[in-house]
Amino acid sequence: MEFIYSYLFMIGVFVAGIIFLPLLHHNVKSANYFAHGLAAMGSLAAVYCAIFVFVTAPQAFSIPLNLHMVVVSVRVDNLAAYFLAIIGLVGTAVSIYAMAYGREYFGRRFNTMAGLYLAFLLSMVLVVTVSHVVIFIIVWELMTITSFLLVGQEHDRPTSMKAAYLYLVMTHVGTAFIIIAFLLLWKTCGSMEFAALTAAHAEAWVRNTIFICSLIGFGMKAGIVPLHIWLPEAHPAAPTHVSALMSGVMIKTAIYGMCRFYLEFLGVGPAWWGGVILLLAIISAVLGVLYALMEHDIKSLLAYHSVENIGIILLGVGAGMIFASEGFPALAGLAWAAALYHVLNHALFKSLLFLGAGAVISTTHTRDIEHLGGLIKIMPYTAVFFLAGSAAISALPPFNGFVSEWLTFQSLFILPIALTGIAGKVVAAVLVSLLGLTGALAAACFVKAFGMIFLAKPRSAKVAAAGEVSGLMLVPMGFLAVLCLILGVFPVGMMGLLQRTLADFFAPGALGGLVNTEWYMIGFHSNSTSGGLSMPTLILFLAAGLMIAAVVYRAGGRPSVVHGETWTCGIIPASKMEYTSTGFSGPIRRAFGSILRPHTGMVFDNNDSPYFRIRVIVQMRITNVFTEMVYHPLNRYVVKLSRFMKRIQTGSVQLYIGYITVVTIIVLIWSTRW
Amino acid sequence: MLGQALLIAGFAPLVAGLIKRSKSRLQNRRGPGLFQLYRDLLKLFSKDSVVSTTTSWIFVVTPFIYLAAALAAAALTSLFAYFSPVFTSRFVDLFMLLYLFALGRFFLALASLDAGSAFGGMGGSREMFISVMVEPALLLVLLSVALRSHSTGLTAMAEAAGNNPLDLSAIFAATAFFIVLIAETGRIPVDNPDTHLELTMVHEGMVLEYSGRWLGMIVWASAIKQLVMIILFVTLFLPRLSADWPLVLQIAVLGAYVLGTAVTLALVETLTNKMRLFKVPGFLAVAGLLALLAIVAQ
Repeated sequence: MEFIYSYLFMIGVFVAGIIFLPLLHHNVKSANYFAHGLAAMGSLAAVYCAIFVFVTAPQAFSIPLNLHMVVVSVRVDNLAAYFLAIIGLVGTAVSIYAMAYGREYFGRRFNTMAGLYLAFLLSMVLVVTVSHVVIFIIVWELMTITSFLLVGQEHDRPTSMKAAYLYLVMTHVGTAFIIIAFLLLWKTCGSMEFAALTAAHAEAWVRNTIFICSLIGFGMKAGIVPLHIWLPEAHPAAPTHVSALMSGVMIKTAIYGMCRFYLEFLGVGPAWWGGVILLLAIISAVLGVLYALMEHDIKSLLAYHSVENIGIILLGVGAGMIFASEGFPALAGLAWAAALYHVLNHALFKSLLFLGAGAVISTTHTRDIEHLGGLIKIMPYTAVFFLAGSAAISALPPFNGFVSEWLTFQSLFILPIALTGIAGKVVAAVLVSLLGLTGALAAACFVKAFGMIFLAKPRSAKVAAAGEVSGLMLVPMGFLAVLCLILGVFPVGMMGLLQRTLADFFAPGALGGLVNTEWYMIGFHSNSTSGGLSMPTLILFLAAGLMIAAVVYRAGGRPSVVHGETWTCGIIPASKMEYTSTGFSGPIRRAFGSILRPHTGMVFDNNDSPYFRIRVIVQMRITNVFTEMVYHPLNRYVVKLSRFMKRIQTGSVQLYIGYITVVTIIVLIWSTRW
Repeated sequence: MLGQALLIAGFAPLVAGLIKRSKSRLQNRRGPGLFQLYRDLLKLFSKDSVVSTTTSWIFVVTPFIYLAAALAAAALTSLFAYFSPVFTSRFVDLFMLLYLFALGRFFLALASLDAGSAFGGMGGSREMFISVMVEPALLLVLLSVALRSHSTGLTAMAEAAGNNPLDLSAIFAATAFFIVLIAETGRIPVDNPDTHLELTMVHEGMVLEYSGRWLGMIVWASAIKQLVMIILFVTLFLPRLSADWPLVLQIAVLGAYVLGTAVTLALVETLTNKMRLFKVPGFLAVAGLLALLAIVAQ
């Protein structure tokens, strides 16, 4: 079957879902299965299209419309197919999950939400496949608007609407920058087709401007610090399955945009481009995970972790750009492969974590982990899948997070080849150690999150009402968890795929033989450095260790186990004795106090005497540095400027006529001078 | 490699016993015998366990994972490869070792929260805090060796370390790694392994709820981890005899280095006292700065 048919089938499935959904607005249950079933089918078709392109060759076709300058052209090369496969995999899992999770929203504008969900998936699929500037902007806008409406789904809550408007404004500012970048490219090349866009021969200032505009524009969508402030508000406000899609897939479309610009349109640039990206990336990584540690709303926690992981992805991108500009295409391929691998891994484990969080929220009806606890006994399967996701995001072997973090470490470690001298070594060392810091902080954060939600005793009555969620929610989570494990144990296949994907963008043969193709290891050998990672060996030794441990345990007969209560110095243990999330992250909050600026306010309620207080209210908060030091002053300045400009509008009609007259005279004089 | 793991696992309690004995001698006490930890482990393995009803399967699984991670790390260190190139392997990487320790620590911290006691939470929180501070310092120090060998493969790093003269950069790096060694193995001044006061415990606080065979596995795994870190220190940072000397002499020198490091650890523990938890970042920052200086001085 030709590619165009499968592509149109995929689009058609989504469109059919959107069109026929209103017919079912009487029967919410069947609308649920219809909409999400079609979404799952469309996502599977997306995976099929991606595999088609991988197996055969890059595909392109166009559908001409009779509009000036506008042709609907679709081009799916290996890079687009890679992102399409990611969207399809995550979309399938989330759609099946949504069939059960959607029941939360029955009676609360469910049909609108389902229709918007289909449109959201459709727009993301289109974003990574279209190859005409105008159509790209249109579908980008469609993605923004559908996600805005989905974030504001619960519009009776004021925090939801505030988050949605913040997201809308920031994304539109970003889109403005993207449009500027595209317009500059169009002016240089004269064509609006992606295949013809290249700024390799433009002047330096044009290239630099395109770089900066695309970085700001796509960075706003991806969530790079300091443009990230919409992320921790929008992701918690959206319904959880939509958050999973937004965090797992939508911010990856911004990375797709960056890949297009930096690999294809702009080509090889000066080394400072890579340096700027590296700086922004490491700041995002460290700050993202620091703020995540301080959160106790589970969805905000996961949203901040998305900021961190975008930072890790961009570390690979920045290193790749530096290698390319210094003339080391093979090493650049390694760094870009690390970034793209982390894109896939993050999509998988982040959506797994969000789905797990959604399962917990749907049964306990609270997002605050300080009210949870002991859920591992009530929701055993969800706990196992959430543990797999936590281990993956903390980069623990044998999961996939470890492999992509290893690749990122290696690409940073070999930076001194491109940046020679002591400066290069120091920069590489500092970057590697800061990346290690983020890994350790992420592990601490997920020990806290998993421990507070699932372990120990319940901290409030909300847990009593919980129960294990239905199979429709468990199966997608299990699927994602198994994928995480497989990608961790056998990364060789992915590396081969990534090498083929990236080979399009570098000189032919430059990447050849860089990555080892033995089945048991991934390794590279180039320019006097080499490195290798053998996951099967690691798994083998871990398994051997487990067997030895089991043998040691069983040697001399099985020991007897007596059950008792936790020792708490003789008092009956209660849930108030357990550690809280704020307490667990307390030492780190103090150690990083200069960045986080915690404030503690205490209100004492005395009863005549300070020795017999009735009540003490303690409020702890951390300062969100960016909101308070960058955005609020900017806000105030803009408002002040607007108030000043308001003086022109006096309300007097004669003055307005005067304005019009003056401007008309000036324009007439100006135009005659030409 | 499996033989290497068993060798290290076998000697680990001896080294731990040596540290304890040296500390006691320095404090003018007789102290427990050198082989006391072996007797302690045998005693623990013959005892029954008491399990809290608050805990879940994570509590039961953690000792196995912790011991397995420690044994895997022992198998992967470049001990045998230090002596003979027959045992070199291209695919054993520094990060595998570090993240195996991270895997063990992750599960141990989870298990500490599982029992629902305040002591466990405290131990887990402090351990993760210390690991956050240790990770960047440890990576900086190990990078100073790795940058010389242009690879993070353990055997390449050991070779490069062996080939290099004892210069200022190596001294800085060795001092920095010694500081990180103290933090990673949980010795005074970072954590007191002999304390009985729960409010001062870090590692001991995490395993407070364990008893019987599970506690035996965790104690053994901690000793193995300590010996693996000491071997890393000796193979990567201390000068060694060139390869023309007979193998027996080289092994003897390595053994002497390990025992010397153990006694030095005991000396440091006796000369200082446990520092306040919030001073540990400053302590590890010294190690990080020394490592940066080592990199610059290369």
